[in-house]
Amino acid sequence: MEMHQANVAGPAADDGLLIARRRRNRIRYEAIQFSIIAAAIVLLILFAIAVKEGLARHGIRFSFSFLWEAAGFDISEGKTFVFDGGFWPAFTEFTSDRLILQAFITGIVNTIKVAVLAIVLSTVLGVLLGVGRLSTNWVVRNLSFWCVEFVRNTPLLIQLVFWYFAVVLHFPPIAAAAKFYGVVISQQGLYFPAVVWQGAGSPLALALVAATLAAVLGLIFGKRGSIRWICAGAVVLFVGVLFATGGIALDFPVASKFRARGGIGMSPEMAALLLAVVVNTASYIAEIVRGSIDALPKGQWEAAASLGLNRRDTVNEIILPQVFRVVLPSFGNQYISLTKNTALGIAIGYPELFNIYGTIANQTGHSLEGIVIVMMSYLILSWAISAAVGWADRRLAKRGATR
Amino acid sequence: MIARSLKWTRHNLFGKPFDVLLSLTVIPGVLWMVYQAVSWALTAARWDIIPQSLRVLMIGVFPADQAWRAWIAIVIIAILLGAALGCVFAFKGRHAGALVPVWAGCAALAGIENVTNVLLIAVTIAAFAGGWAVASRFPPVRKALVPASFIGLIAIFAVMAPPGAGLWGGLLLSILLTLVTAVLSLPIGILLAFGRRSRFSGLRWICTGYIEVMRSVPLIMVVYWIWILIPVLTPQFNLADVVRGMIGFTLFYSAYVAEYVRSGLQAVPRGQTEAARSLGMSEFDINRSIVLPQAIRVVVPPLVGNVLDIFNMAPLVFIIGLTDFLRAGQMILANPQFGDRTYEVYSFLFLTYFLVGSLITFVARKLEAHLARGSR
Repeated sequence: MEMHQANVAGPAADDGLLIARRRRNRIRYEAIQFSIIAAAIVLLILFAIAVKEGLARHGIRFSFSFLWEAAGFDISEGKTFVFDGGFWPAFTEFTSDRLILQAFITGIVNTIKVAVLAIVLSTVLGVLLGVGRLSTNWVVRNLSFWCVEFVRNTPLLIQLVFWYFAVVLHFPPIAAAAKFYGVVISQQGLYFPAVVWQGAGSPLALALVAATLAAVLGLIFGKRGSIRWICAGAVVLFVGVLFATGGIALDFPVASKFRARGGIGMSPEMAALLLAVVVNTASYIAEIVRGSIDALPKGQWEAAASLGLNRRDTVNEIILPQVFRVVLPSFGNQYISLTKNTALGIAIGYPELFNIYGTIANQTGHSLEGIVIVMMSYLILSWAISAAVGWADRRLAKRGATR
Repeated sequence: MIARSLKWTRHNLFGKPFDVLLSLTVIPGVLWMVYQAVSWALTAARWDIIPQSLRVLMIGVFPADQAWRAWIAIVIIAILLGAALGCVFAFKGRHAGALVPVWAGCAALAGIENVTNVLLIAVTIAAFAGGWAVASRFPPVRKALVPASFIGLIAIFAVMAPPGAGLWGGLLLSILLTLVTAVLSLPIGILLAFGRRSRFSGLRWICTGYIEVMRSVPLIMVVYWIWILIPVLTPQFNLADVVRGMIGFTLFYSAYVAEYVRSGLQAVPRGQTEAARSLGMSEFDINRSIVLPQAIRVVVPPLVGNVLDIFNMAPLVFIIGLTDFLRAGQMILANPQFGDRTYEVYSFLFLTYFLVGSLITFVARKLEAHLARGSR
């Protein structure tokens, strides 16, 4: 329409009209743009004033100074950073004489602990379930299908509550705990064998640890496949030598009448939260894996079959490598929602970030300031996960390109 | 027959050495677990607790003498759901046949001896079938569905409010919360999706920021935050917990709906917009009558999946002290008299959630197939 009018006006007037119209449009655009931003800012300011007045009515002042007050409450488990004069902060158990800020850190540490463990376990279980849905074995195929369907179609919260009240709390008491290759399973918690450091300053052990770390770094950041294989072998070798020379040793938990000593303990709350989140996320991951296997062109299967590859080799060598190249972003979304789902720990009393926030809000009344901290923590966790997944994705894509 | 089943077994269970190994380890384990579960359900379990506490499970602590209000709400919900179904799938005779066993099952659960309940269940199912049939036979009704659902929800609120919104509970609360969130988050989500594609970078930033922040924080935190924030902002209104919970859910799920709608908007070919522009349509008209209908068509299946997500997250309202379906079950277990019926109650809860969830998933899959067939 505008073009039409401009053409009628003739070539000479055309330019002037066009320029004028462009300028008018430009000004209108800037005006609307400016008014949108101004309206947003005004709304934000009104919101802040309303919150401040509302809080003032309850006699609360919006400030973050409560973070430096003594907590005065205990947390059932979890560690925090303590500055006790040294250059590095010490990483020790939280006690009620610590600051509220340190209570928040305990919550973040507990959340990260569950999230990292759950990400690793749910990826393994999810890929197994996803491949299981394509198994040639009828029972395995249907079992995986129904497990995934059941978990996806019921709420996570009821699964969590069920794992806690109907499974973990019905484990045998510690005096009669089930023992399984050094793992102790009981109502009071799960205990695993731990790797402990016994090298105490011996130069050989320290050198071996340094070499192991270097090999692990090489394994992660190595540019070529052969270098990574060498590094992986070196890690196994160094750890083996460390065991043989007594630099590190396995510490097995020993169950007594009321509690277990040694090893790494896991509280029943953490075990239930981990179980629920792992099983739930694994079923979503299984669905992603199955979906992207289905989305691969059928020609891939046919070409592999025509080369005489059997089904297992086809899946391992042809199908899964291509699948992993496309599923990583979807996995990243699942990891983020997994991290958010750990906030349900409040339903069974696991002291993750949101639960500790609830305690702090109750104790101090600073619920709105606390929300800001909790929100920022979850935002940073989400960004960190998507950055890590993005890094892994780019790396995989590059590897695929050079091959 | 035997030869064929032997052949099936050899192919599907013992095809390769690895399959033999899997079958030999998995089948006995599964059989043992099924045997344990069935023998418990048939002998040890005492199921009388479910009919006894069915009212609490369905409507929570809503007063028993006001139950007729809940029944009116259930009938309205049934009509709306039936009409929504009728917009896509035509009502046929076999569907009516399938609803009879559903009625029988519900009646058996509620107790045959209670004639009023059996009749009321029949009325509910008849309302569902009626809404379905009317919407599938008379296409003009479909245009009125969105305003009708708003009016229906308002009517439910009006009917249920007098005894006190704090008393709402049970499965009815879960369903109401899901419906209200699903209906309200759709327009907000569409606006956010358009805002994220706007020509104005200021609007784009605001919408993107809102969507991204909401998608990276847990729902339970948003619900709790809105719950404590609303009385601080509007002390004069004194909104009920239920309403505050619904606002929190709506604000959270609008961001998810916005992302689904945005993916649908991206799927609309550019040629559509360009063609409409060359016809001289205004930007608003283009978006309203060319882009949005095509985008919505693409995203209906994921949006139905989103309804399942909302329903599965509804138990989170325990954080603001509401008694939804799961919490009602826990309340029954908190009664010392029924303390040892953990597995019975949880089995019932799991089964109900699974049935409702599977139904929603089934509808989403059918819709996907249906719409895929329609597009060329």
